[in-house]
Amino acid sequence: MAQVPLAIVSHKRQVCSLYKRALRNLEAWYDRREVYRYRAVLMRARFDENRRKDLAEGMRLLACGQQELFETKHFQPRNFANSAGGCAFEREVIPPDWVLDYWHPLEKAQYPEYFAKREQRKKEYVTWWEKQYGKPDPKDLGHH
Amino acid sequence: MSFTQVARSCGRFAAALSTARLASAVALQSQSRMMHRIAVPAISTMLTQNKFTLRHYSARNTIEEIEHRVLKVVSAYDKDSCRGRWQTQSVRSYSAKPPLSLKLINERVLLVLKLYDKVDPSKLNVDSHFINDLGLDSLDHVEVIMAMEDEFGFEIPDSDAEKLLKPADIIKYVADKEDVYE
Repeated sequence: MAQVPLAIVSHKRQVCSLYKRALRNLEAWYDRREVYRYRAVLMRARFDENRRKDLAEGMRLLACGQQELFETKHFQPRNFANSAGGCAFEREVIPPDWVLDYWHPLEKAQYPEYFAKREQRKKEYVTWWEKQYGKPDPKDLGHH
Repeated sequence: MSFTQVARSCGRFAAALSTARLASAVALQSQSRMMHRIAVPAISTMLTQNKFTLRHYSARNTIEEIEHRVLKVVSAYDKDSCRGRWQTQSVRSYSAKPPLSLKLINERVLLVLKLYDKVDPSKLNVDSHFINDLGLDSLDHVEVIMAMEDEFGFEIPDSDAEKLLKPADIIKYVADKEDVYE
């Protein structure tokens, strides 16, 4: 969900994102570290020389940069193991916490201490929520 | 049995003994004479060797030497058994990262920042702001975040990266990601 854009992304953030993706692309192309560093310094110089341009020119340059990145994209980019496209992506699925609330009562009865503490914690969380955000509107309770 | 009979039998016994001695002497003499013709030093060395090896074995069984041998065998066995025990120990042989702690994360983050040439190590602190205190710009901040990704081996999305403006934030973020609480 972290990747879903929930707000309008500013120009500065778009440029930073482009810079990062461009460097990762260079890293995929040039596996020798010193060669990659040389290319990265050149890339940084290209970004730095357009630092003081106005916004319209900057937006045009950003579009050009994104186009160039798309055209020079590596065919098999390197990814981190646990991120999307990596070799261990979603290898370990951690079940969400609410799954425990749907256990059968007989199953819950096997761990009485934990579930007693869990009910207590839920009550504390409700009081914290009401203190933080106020009581919920009775109109909003229940399904529509 | 009369005294004469006893004396006579004794005499006969003595005679038998003397003949036997004589015979053995003769046999020895003849053997030695023949051997003497063939090879004198060979037989002498063989005899002496035979004697020597016998004595050698008997002389070796002193308490010190037995102790020495036994201790040698025992120590060799101990080494073997130690090796066996080490192999059967429950060693984590599957590949995984070494366990992290907050202190270790702190040290690694600060080391990465110290090795970055645009950061002044004398000004660097856990609570120093990258842009305000250390004088980095936003592209340098991107590079710092990329270095942290490479150091800890997981991706930091842009929406999280823009909030990590201090080394303390990065330490907390990495600790949350890796489930490190102490």
